[in-house]
Amino acid sequence: MTSLLPWIALLLPLASMFVILLATRSLRTLSAFISVAAVLGSFVCSCLIFFQQTSAAAAICWIDLAPLFSVPLGLTLDPLSRSMLFMVTGVGAVIHIYSLGYMSADAGKSRYFAGLSLFMFAMLGIVLANNFVMMFIFWELVGVSSYLLIGHWFERPAAAEAAKKAFITNRIGDFGFMLGILMVWTGTGSLVFTEIAAGMAKLTAHPSYLTAAALLVFCGAVGKSAQFPLHVWLPDAMEGPTPVSALIHAATMVAAGVYMLVRVGFLIDASSGALHVIAWIGTITAVLAALMATQQNDIKRILAYSTLSQLGYMVMAVGLASGQAAMFHLFTHAAFKALLFLGAGSIIYMLHHEQDIWRMGGLAKRLPITFLTFLVGTLALIGFPGFSGFFSKDAILALAYERSLPIFAFAAFTALLTAFYMTRLVVVAFFGDARSPHAARGAESPIVMTLPLILLSVPAAIGGFGFFARNFLSLPNETKPVVAVPVIALLALLIGVVSALLLYRNRTTEPVEIELFRNRFYFDELYTALIKSTQGLLAAIAAFIDRWILDGAIVRGLSGGTWGSGFLLRLLQVGNLQAYGFLFGLGIIGLIYFTVFH
Amino acid sequence: MIPAPFLEIAVLTWGLILLMVDAFAGKTDRRGVAIAGILGLLVVLAASFFLTPPTPAAASGFWSFYTADPLAIFFKRFALVTTILVLVMAIDYAPAIRMGVPAANPHAGLGEFFTLPIFTCVGLMWMASAIDFVMIFVSLELVTMSFYVLVSFTRRNPATLEAGVKYLILSALSTGFLVYGITWIFGVTGETNLTQIGTVLATQEIDKIPLLFGIALVLVALGFKIAAVPFQIWVPDVYQGAPTPVTAFLSVGSKAAGFVVLLRVLTPFLMLPQVGRLLVGVAALTLIYGNFAALPQSNLKRLLAYSSIAHAGYLLIGVVTFSGAAVAYYLVAYLLMTLLCFAVLVVVGNSGGSDQIEDFAGLAKRSPFLAFAMLIGMISLAGVPFTAGFLGKFFIFDAAIRQHQTMLVVIGVITVGCGFYYYLKVVRAMYWLTPPADSQPVPLSALSRLTMTLLIAAIFVLGVYPQPILNALDQPAARATISMFR
Repeated sequence: MTSLLPWIALLLPLASMFVILLATRSLRTLSAFISVAAVLGSFVCSCLIFFQQTSAAAAICWIDLAPLFSVPLGLTLDPLSRSMLFMVTGVGAVIHIYSLGYMSADAGKSRYFAGLSLFMFAMLGIVLANNFVMMFIFWELVGVSSYLLIGHWFERPAAAEAAKKAFITNRIGDFGFMLGILMVWTGTGSLVFTEIAAGMAKLTAHPSYLTAAALLVFCGAVGKSAQFPLHVWLPDAMEGPTPVSALIHAATMVAAGVYMLVRVGFLIDASSGALHVIAWIGTITAVLAALMATQQNDIKRILAYSTLSQLGYMVMAVGLASGQAAMFHLFTHAAFKALLFLGAGSIIYMLHHEQDIWRMGGLAKRLPITFLTFLVGTLALIGFPGFSGFFSKDAILALAYERSLPIFAFAAFTALLTAFYMTRLVVVAFFGDARSPHAARGAESPIVMTLPLILLSVPAAIGGFGFFARNFLSLPNETKPVVAVPVIALLALLIGVVSALLLYRNRTTEPVEIELFRNRFYFDELYTALIKSTQGLLAAIAAFIDRWILDGAIVRGLSGGTWGSGFLLRLLQVGNLQAYGFLFGLGIIGLIYFTVFH
Repeated sequence: MIPAPFLEIAVLTWGLILLMVDAFAGKTDRRGVAIAGILGLLVVLAASFFLTPPTPAAASGFWSFYTADPLAIFFKRFALVTTILVLVMAIDYAPAIRMGVPAANPHAGLGEFFTLPIFTCVGLMWMASAIDFVMIFVSLELVTMSFYVLVSFTRRNPATLEAGVKYLILSALSTGFLVYGITWIFGVTGETNLTQIGTVLATQEIDKIPLLFGIALVLVALGFKIAAVPFQIWVPDVYQGAPTPVTAFLSVGSKAAGFVVLLRVLTPFLMLPQVGRLLVGVAALTLIYGNFAALPQSNLKRLLAYSSIAHAGYLLIGVVTFSGAAVAYYLVAYLLMTLLCFAVLVVVGNSGGSDQIEDFAGLAKRSPFLAFAMLIGMISLAGVPFTAGFLGKFFIFDAAIRQHQTMLVVIGVITVGCGFYYYLKVVRAMYWLTPPADSQPVPLSALSRLTMTLLIAAIFVLGVYPQPILNALDQPAARATISMFR
């Protein structure tokens, strides 16, 4: 049975964007409600699709150049995309509603909601695309919407810079992604996922080609999911409004890289070399980001590094050839990380855009709902038994234990660090005495913002239990349950929490200073220096080639030559009818000569 | 359900009625005639979607020289759309006509200027269906006759008059060769029907030399219609001198009809290797001539004339590689972008400017919409991705690569580079040069604004979703035609 529902779910946000941009731009409140209505509509469609188990969408042929290539405009509706659709529209709807409160006084509200709608359209496109061309187009579109939303407060130089950095860093990864798509297409002759999967034999015959293609496709995920070494954009992206950070830079878009890898799992899993690289990239990201998170003071940045670290877990799971474990963690992470960001947003909103945790303190009493939900999110994130993150992280740890002990060691260490930095955040921000006048006067946020927090805390709390999660995912089942894994995980949790409690209880300033972590291992400085030097060198070379070879020899010569010949040809055009008749006659004679006698 | 020939009859009747109305209209404003013409043609265009499907067995009598296959229907619609757009332009051009026609009554001539394109349209539509040399000749002449009048319409203007004389004489010359060629082919095969000629060629042993001689002469006439080298020599002068809407009509309608006839006429003859070789040479020369000669132009109408020659070269690649769908798509793209450019040219030219590129200086500041429309037209002509012009070239080159016509692809790609130079020269003038101090915004009627908006939208829509056009010809009968090519 084909269905139009997925198309409606996909196109509603697009329609909302056009309506806002073309008609209701000056009516800010109406724009906001149009956008919220659109995403709620999409959510309803997604629910229908999800519960009716719709499996086919209407499709049309976009470009048909058979046998060269053809691109259908088709949507995939398998269990994977159905669940993802449900999650994206669900979290999206909650965050849209939250934005009504958070952005209520913003002058650029219409622009903001148009951007959110564009993002929803693009993100749903990635989820639903059944071929690489569509996925790539939507992939770039989320890049654009992310750029627009990070730079929402473009009058702040930091925001404009962050938007640019995010976009350019993503483009580097996307370039590799595009090359990978072209390689897959060259190898299999198709761009549609199901056809590529069917034609994998053509690729597996050339293992090195397959590895190169798989790694290039992975480059796309490295950019979008902010993996090492392209992770530098995500912390800066926190310059955007907090709901954007929650939706795009925590729950959905950054997870798109992982989703894409799972979607083309048949391609990745076929190359053990690629899997190896992917697993280690994920591990390195997880550890490095967790180390950096321990020394940050900005509440959103701590969460951003935590996101990086958790994405590292997911990529690690992909690299360990378990898409199921990766998707499980993606789902729980989407819930609890969105919750944490929205909680942070609630604090920031009430504290008049104060983001430094050392200037907070004692917030547990003043913002009770925010505190309780934030606590739920934290417990889920650090993998406290019974909370969602415990189950999904345990699945990945068990996987690592089974496949590669070094990776398991790093993963467990990351779990320890996670517990440490989250405890630090909670202790410093919520307990002790208020350390700034705003923190002393803060009060609970309006209902439109606390309701989303409560809604999200439900899946964050119970999302990991089999009875709940099994509806959405095919859960990874451990082949042989090992006791060592949960024991080590709990031990790591305990060490992390206790050490952070001891270190940070009743502190007013940072007791330990580790410059290396605080300065994020100097990656940004390194990149800046690298870009400066290579750019200077390349620019000098390019300038030389441009001036002397291209401009001097080729362009001058060519343009002079063509212009001259054009000028000569123009001389033929004397404007005299007799001459035209004569040339016409010559032409006829030439034509007859070449046809008949040549 | 309507039989296909009724379309032509309807257009012809409507044209005659409008001519009568004009004759007795006295001193009333003649723009109503153009509006009525546009509406009538729109009705016929709508009717063309409700045709009775052609009966395959009916190849005798009337149906032995008239066909209603998908190719024919497609180009009938093409002719109708072109004529509608030309009439829209003609309304804007009315002031220039009033100045260019000597008469006591200020409306004299306007009605004729509005109705003659309708008769041309009938000729174009018949030409699309013609599968017999006699029919081809008659419909070709109907088109040419009306163009004789249209080209020299503003006869107070010496340049127009000169263009009219040149077009008359050279066109008559080429027509003479067409008849001469047809008689030779008839003499060899004993047939004027293209299908019958194909049968004769396939089954009987015939003398090749006189046959080739006949084909060469027919190609002379068709080469003249589509402005292919070496019969392009009239194009720059006539395009520049003729009233602008007529130039647009010539460059789109007349050329498209030439290509339909070329596709049909070549069908039986393509088994002869000489014909294929000749066309490759002609295509290469046309590409080089059109693009290179356009480089130093400073007059926009003349630039578009050379551009029209250049596009004939790309279309010829499509013909050589037997790719009917690619040719059809390219022609549609060409229609959209060329008519868009001409529409802007008419409006800007009317407001006191001339056709020189320098008169477009700073148009973006004076009339942003017109400049944007011209920008889209120009980048589509140059072949920037996401415009119809890009995909047109893409399909043509794709077909050429599949047929291993590497030489044509190389020349094509190099000349596309030239194209960017001279098309973007116009863009540069509009967006980077400063307007003259006394410049005024250009007035634009609602109808023209709507038309231009639709053209721009169509250029982008077809630039990303070409399938409707490609499918239009992808029907059993068209497939048969194309497979005959292969």
